[in-house]
Amino acid sequence: MIALQQSSAFGAFKQAAIISSVVLGIFSTSYSFAQTEPTQSEPASEQEALIEEGRYLAIASDCTACHTMPEGGEPFAGGYNIVSPLGDIRATNITPSTSAGIGNYTQEEFARALREGVRADGAYLYPAMPYTAYTQLTDEDVAALYAYFMHDVAPVDEQVTDTELPFPFNIRMSMAVWNALFLEEGPFEADPAQSDQVNRGAYLVNGPAHCSTCHTPRNMLMAERESQFLGGAYLEAWYAPNITSDDISGVGGWRDEELIQFLRTGHVEGKGQAGGQMAEAIENSFQYLTDDDISAIVAYLREVPAIRDEQQDQPAYAFGEAQNLEPTLRGTAEHDKIDSLDTGEKLFSGSCASCHQPSGGGSGQQYYPQLFNNTATGGKNAANLIAAIVYGIDREVGDEAFFMPHFSKGSMINELSNDDVAAISNYVLQQYGNPALEVTSADVAKAREGGEKPLLARIQPFIIWIMLAIAVLLAALVIWLIVRHCSKRRKRTVRA
Amino acid sequence: MRTPDFDANGDASADVVIVGSGVVGAMMADQLVAKGHSVLVLEAGPRINRGQIVENWRNMPFQNRAGSDYQGLYPQSPLAPAPLYFPENNYVQQFGPSAGSFSQGYLRVVGGTTWHWAASCWRHLPVDMQMQSAYGVGRDWPISYEELEPYYCLAEEEMGVAGPHDPALQSPSERSRPYPMDMIPWNYGDIRFAEVVNPHGYRLVPIPQGRNVRPWQGRPACCGNNNCMPICPIGAMYNGIHHVESAEAKGAKVLAEAVVYKIDTNEENRITEVHWFDADKVSHKASGKMFVLACNALETPRLLLMAANERNPQGIANSTDQVGRYMMDHSGFHCTFMADEPLWTGRGPAQSSCMVGPRDGDFRSEYSSNKVILNNLSRVEAATTEALKQGLVGRALDDEIRRRTIYGVDLSISLEPLPNPNNRVTLSETRRDELGLPCPDIHYDVGEYVHKGAEASHRQLEFIGKLFGAAEFHITEDLNANNHIMGGTIMGADPRTSVVDGDCRTHDHPNLWLPGGGAMPSASVVNSTLTMVALGLKAADSVAKELGRGNA
Repeated sequence: MIALQQSSAFGAFKQAAIISSVVLGIFSTSYSFAQTEPTQSEPASEQEALIEEGRYLAIASDCTACHTMPEGGEPFAGGYNIVSPLGDIRATNITPSTSAGIGNYTQEEFARALREGVRADGAYLYPAMPYTAYTQLTDEDVAALYAYFMHDVAPVDEQVTDTELPFPFNIRMSMAVWNALFLEEGPFEADPAQSDQVNRGAYLVNGPAHCSTCHTPRNMLMAERESQFLGGAYLEAWYAPNITSDDISGVGGWRDEELIQFLRTGHVEGKGQAGGQMAEAIENSFQYLTDDDISAIVAYLREVPAIRDEQQDQPAYAFGEAQNLEPTLRGTAEHDKIDSLDTGEKLFSGSCASCHQPSGGGSGQQYYPQLFNNTATGGKNAANLIAAIVYGIDREVGDEAFFMPHFSKGSMINELSNDDVAAISNYVLQQYGNPALEVTSADVAKAREGGEKPLLARIQPFIIWIMLAIAVLLAALVIWLIVRHCSKRRKRTVRA
Repeated sequence: MRTPDFDANGDASADVVIVGSGVVGAMMADQLVAKGHSVLVLEAGPRINRGQIVENWRNMPFQNRAGSDYQGLYPQSPLAPAPLYFPENNYVQQFGPSAGSFSQGYLRVVGGTTWHWAASCWRHLPVDMQMQSAYGVGRDWPISYEELEPYYCLAEEEMGVAGPHDPALQSPSERSRPYPMDMIPWNYGDIRFAEVVNPHGYRLVPIPQGRNVRPWQGRPACCGNNNCMPICPIGAMYNGIHHVESAEAKGAKVLAEAVVYKIDTNEENRITEVHWFDADKVSHKASGKMFVLACNALETPRLLLMAANERNPQGIANSTDQVGRYMMDHSGFHCTFMADEPLWTGRGPAQSSCMVGPRDGDFRSEYSSNKVILNNLSRVEAATTEALKQGLVGRALDDEIRRRTIYGVDLSISLEPLPNPNNRVTLSETRRDELGLPCPDIHYDVGEYVHKGAEASHRQLEFIGKLFGAAEFHITEDLNANNHIMGGTIMGADPRTSVVDGDCRTHDHPNLWLPGGGAMPSASVVNSTLTMVALGLKAADSVAKELGRGNA
């Protein structure tokens, strides 16, 4: 922390130096920026330490998830389409390019973008950029991030095309109102009643790691519902589960080592595995965090108020057991059939059992996970089971690639219809998971379309008509008031 | 994205019409559609589903499985039969001295025969393409290894081939680009076998394989199901269906159960249309600028012959009576024995290592070279069959199955045939399929060159047997087919003795290409798929160049 404080002092010094150099520059055009660049007077090791700190924070904040194009994109050059329920949001170029990136940002402007969601040009960001979480970042950490982005990230001079959301979301000013309603500005303040470890965890969870962005459900206006903090939420076709301290609905029943292992690797035998965006978060971010930070996150999650779903009476990982119906299948069909897989059981055998095994027990060392005692099959909904089938799993941790192919159109393995996926899901739920759940073809179709859309997205096409209707009603009201007023006056006049 | 046009009758038009959706046709479709051309693929057989085939295999009786029945689990369209052997359907009837040695397994389904293959992705040696110049036998190719080499690289990249990065383990080592992935790690049996035989010059090396130990372009990593033949249950092994999917995603249209039977030509002898029967036996036609027949080396000549028209009375591309001739396969045999130490073969993919020491040498002027695959398919079925014959039961039976499985060795030997114009596919005058189209006949004689090569191989194998203190040493007597069908539309510079040129383009028809194994003027001893694909990719370039020229 001492290094951080020094960095912060350095940051302030640097700003002062830049400001003074600008002022001086007015009087002396020969006085160049480079000469006053404080990096030269600053000991290299401190600057390097600051940059390293920034690099670590950028990883902890998973900036790359959105700002680097997957599969070989230039780091932080943007261009990636973030699929949001309200439309695609284009991640920006945050390299220090002065023409296409944030090279001209001062540290204050950088801080404002991170913590208040306002760009240097004054335009408002959409909260797809999790500034509602980054607002918690300390001044020291913002300085470190700034140093890293300005000095260690290679500038990429390629412009990213602007985000174009449909009306009325294209009015960025509307975010000013939204921010006034929902943005609780930081930075983070430690709770003196809690240990340093819990405070560190709270900072990471609420700030850089922005866990609540996915794990907290949102209200009608897409703001996180505070009362449901980390209580579980749909995320496109996936479900980011309840990670509160509740024994049944949350992660209260997971041992510390299990939560740590999950964040490190994305998989815990007998508990579950990460798919979708959580797989990304582990691949890009959590696997690189220090042991202390991972432990701090777990310590803090223990303190998050429990949220219990009354529908659940046992934890998601507690359902199911090995069951092998393979022998009942053999001899029931000829061996040259083209279309005999007419039950979930047969479809499961043909497309799933080679890896997950006829018993559902997975492979010996659980590279292919077991399907019972698995949060994806025992949760309160089947979203992650369906999503795993239609989108697959792709998670690289260390040198190992964990990969389950998708079974949608273009699958290199096998395309499965909505009916097939529903039948397989129901078989898996009945045999190995939460038997109270039932998956329909329509559920699968919805998952393929990216999951249930929030209300705001669903009413988007009608918003203009609703606004027009309100305007017409208002106009009618005004006219009626005027007419009434005038007629009263006339009556009064008449009387007079 | 350009897509083929269909009219109300179901007739189609496209820039490129490809007949056959196997590895060659599908990859050409993928290449050409990616370049912006509309592509129609007509496949005689049905579209199948991997999960169904996996279940069919599991539902097969033991005798089919023990007999390596890799055909019977693939459903066939009643209108597009393919060979079956349990029992034999006699779709392809064999004649001649080596009748019975040409019992090929090939599939007529969307994606083609690479649904069941060992995924061995060998290249020819440079000298394999100069057999006449180097050894005074066979034929020289009209193109050089150097001309084909970039297409070998592209084929390996498209198929995701894992091969040894170490040049000492490559065969051949003449490469301009590395394998996309390093070799699939060897199991104990490969390592131990190499230790024993390599000091004697047999050169057991890793087989370059179209499968991956890391996820690769939507394919999961190979986990060693050891079930490559007849079906990779998880799609880790490359199958032609992968390029069907890829081509479709780019806009190609693939019609299943579309049996092409007739080909129209104009006054310049350009192909104008091909006609096909749909599943209801209704005829349609497809017009196009360029046409490709990629139906494998047996069905392509059959189609060319049966599509004879007024202008081409001997058959399409057959003005010099070369279509259907020079049929080849790597006729081979098996050598089995019980080693004096456990070798634990059967872990990992079906084929993993191979002896290439006898692949080349001056002897080739006299007799065939050979290669010896250390077969890595699990020995459990063969072991069980033997153990049951002994009348064992209970624990004794289990123990014997285990013992035979871990000590058992099966070597699969391939020999190199020479192209012989009398080894020939013709149309049957008596047998017809459901559509009334003539079935293929084949006359086959492997010839002295192969027989002498087999004798030389026997001596080499006996030596290997001694190295392992072999018991129950056995060499199969009859030569078996290896399903590497080559010839039939042979490549050459001279139209009088060949059907296609170095781009697999027919001498007779400027807008018709016949890529794949049919064109290969020499067989080498290695599995033919990678060379077929490389030829297909070279042909795709030629088609694209012709389209670019505006020759329509």
